Amino acid sequence: MAPPAVQTVVELLLGGVSLGGLYGMMAFAFSLALATTRILNVAHGGFLVLGAALAMLFFRFLHLHFLLGTLLLLAIFLLVGLLFEGAFVRPLMGRPPHAVLVGSILVTFGFALALEAFLGFYWADLVDPQPSFTIPFPAPTLQVFGLTLSGTRLTILAIAMLTAGLFHLLLTRTKMGKAARAMSEDHEGALIIGINPRRLSIRIYLVGVVVTAFSGILYSTTAPLEPYSGLPLTMIALTIIVIGGVGSLPGALLGGVLVGTAEVLTTFLAGGAWAPVVYLLVFFLVLVVRPEGLFGVREA
Amino acid sequence: MRRWAAGGLQGLAVAAGAGLLLALPQVATRDIVTAVFFALIFITLAVSYDILGGFLGYLNLGQGAFFGLAGYVLFILIVKVAFLQHLGPAGPALAVLAAVAFTALFARLAAYPLFQLRGAYFAMATFGLMLLLGHLITNLGGLTGGAYGLYIPTELYLPLRPAYTLALLLTGLSVALNALLARSRLGMGLQAIRQSELAAAAIGIDLFRYKSRALVLSSLPSALAGCLFALYSGYIDVQNMLGAEKTLFPVIMAMLGGSGTVFGPVLGGVIVRAIDVSLKNYLVLPVPALGIYGLILMCIGLFMPQGILPFFLRRRL
Repeated sequence: MAPPAVQTVVELLLGGVSLGGLYGMMAFAFSLALATTRILNVAHGGFLVLGAALAMLFFRFLHLHFLLGTLLLLAIFLLVGLLFEGAFVRPLMGRPPHAVLVGSILVTFGFALALEAFLGFYWADLVDPQPSFTIPFPAPTLQVFGLTLSGTRLTILAIAMLTAGLFHLLLTRTKMGKAARAMSEDHEGALIIGINPRRLSIRIYLVGVVVTAFSGILYSTTAPLEPYSGLPLTMIALTIIVIGGVGSLPGALLGGVLVGTAEVLTTFLAGGAWAPVVYLLVFFLVLVVRPEGLFGVREA
Repeated sequence: MRRWAAGGLQGLAVAAGAGLLLALPQVATRDIVTAVFFALIFITLAVSYDILGGFLGYLNLGQGAFFGLAGYVLFILIVKVAFLQHLGPAGPALAVLAAVAFTALFARLAAYPLFQLRGAYFAMATFGLMLLLGHLITNLGGLTGGAYGLYIPTELYLPLRPAYTLALLLTGLSVALNALLARSRLGMGLQAIRQSELAAAAIGIDLFRYKSRALVLSSLPSALAGCLFALYSGYIDVQNMLGAEKTLFPVIMAMLGGSGTVFGPVLGGVIVRAIDVSLKNYLVLPVPALGIYGLILMCIGLFMPQGILPFFLRRRL
């Protein structure tokens, strides 16, 4: 057996890095949509909550078979992505840049609040008076060099790394990824060389909502999500891209790991109530010290 | 000529409205006076929000931060500084001055990180500032009462009648401030910045100085509104001083009525308060009020980015 202090440190690190990987995934989905469509989606965190809520409904209350439930979730998330893009992103696309930014905040903030309110209200009414979304995931613990490692967190870390790899392949090897990179670098230029912004934006929202909603399900295996967790999660995604840069995959992962580790350490040292204070302070500190971002933020 | 006549008519309408509101406590029931008092508080928030939102074109999702901060500073001073309670009515008045000054200082300091940003990033940062303030107040329980909130002695409560009169005065001053600003060098500079930051900088406008002045100016009426609200309630906590609706209402009101016009936020404020009162007291719908506001915000963003007042003014002229 390893000494308890070492065990604690390793547990904290694993907790921080796996949470960070999860944050990195959802923050990159947020960042990619922002970089290519210039829509800042305030409702992004709401997709994590929605994912966790639906998964809990399917698996814990309706007892669906794992494979059937997962396929059903996938189909729903794709539909949500399609509808969200069609209803909120497309109508804003033709407006001038400033109007797009302000319009996107109003529309998605409104949607986020409505989602939060309706989900909380009807869940409390129909399912459980205390809406709190958790999904038990009984992965066996792992013994390495006398250390006990949480199987759940290792699984999350593995999935996050796999997703990051897939994102990298998507960006570098596929036509869609190349179009997305072109679009985020030079919007007009991308239009001139014949990239269809509409088709690109639909695909980005399809991928983004699926990745984000499944990150929400993973999140809820280690800690509960509540209906009002959505807006703070959007703030976390924003903090991460302020640190890592808009549209940057390595930036999102690094920023995610920084924020995730800071959150886990703060919770351990000072209690969970201080965790949001720490990431918000980091957010403002980065803005004051390096307004262009630690790794250079492009003006979107 | 038509413009002049329209201006005269507007002035007449304002004077008539002010007279009616001033006479209201003599004729109306306590419930109505209370409802109008709350409406005035929120309209003040919306009008002061519009200094940034309308003139400068920066979306401030944290207007409620000034409201809440001022209320908390006021109560902390009254509760912790014992001699203020022995000065009679001068005590709370002094504390209000200090709270407003502190809030203005806070706004001036917040300008440094906030104005590194533009557009949507600025909006989200202001929202983050409000969240940060809420978490700090909840966590620093020794100073702020944490989740339990703070009370002041009952003899220091502000009764409804004077509170109402003060709120009416404050709303009037807040509207006058915006009207003056529209004609001032600062206000024109802000509008120039809204249209093009590059061009504004090129004609010699110091962007940061103008923006930070606008932020400080917009914090003053909101801070006073927070103090009035807190003194009338006698009890504050994070939910009633920094809750989501303190952030949401100013934006909805100003955008609905017409951001960038002097009376747009007032009109929007009247409409939103009317919806709120009827939702909570008369229509018992099986839907949460916050959801309704979310939907309204969504619809404004999609269908009416200009707001009601400019929509009709454009039609007429």
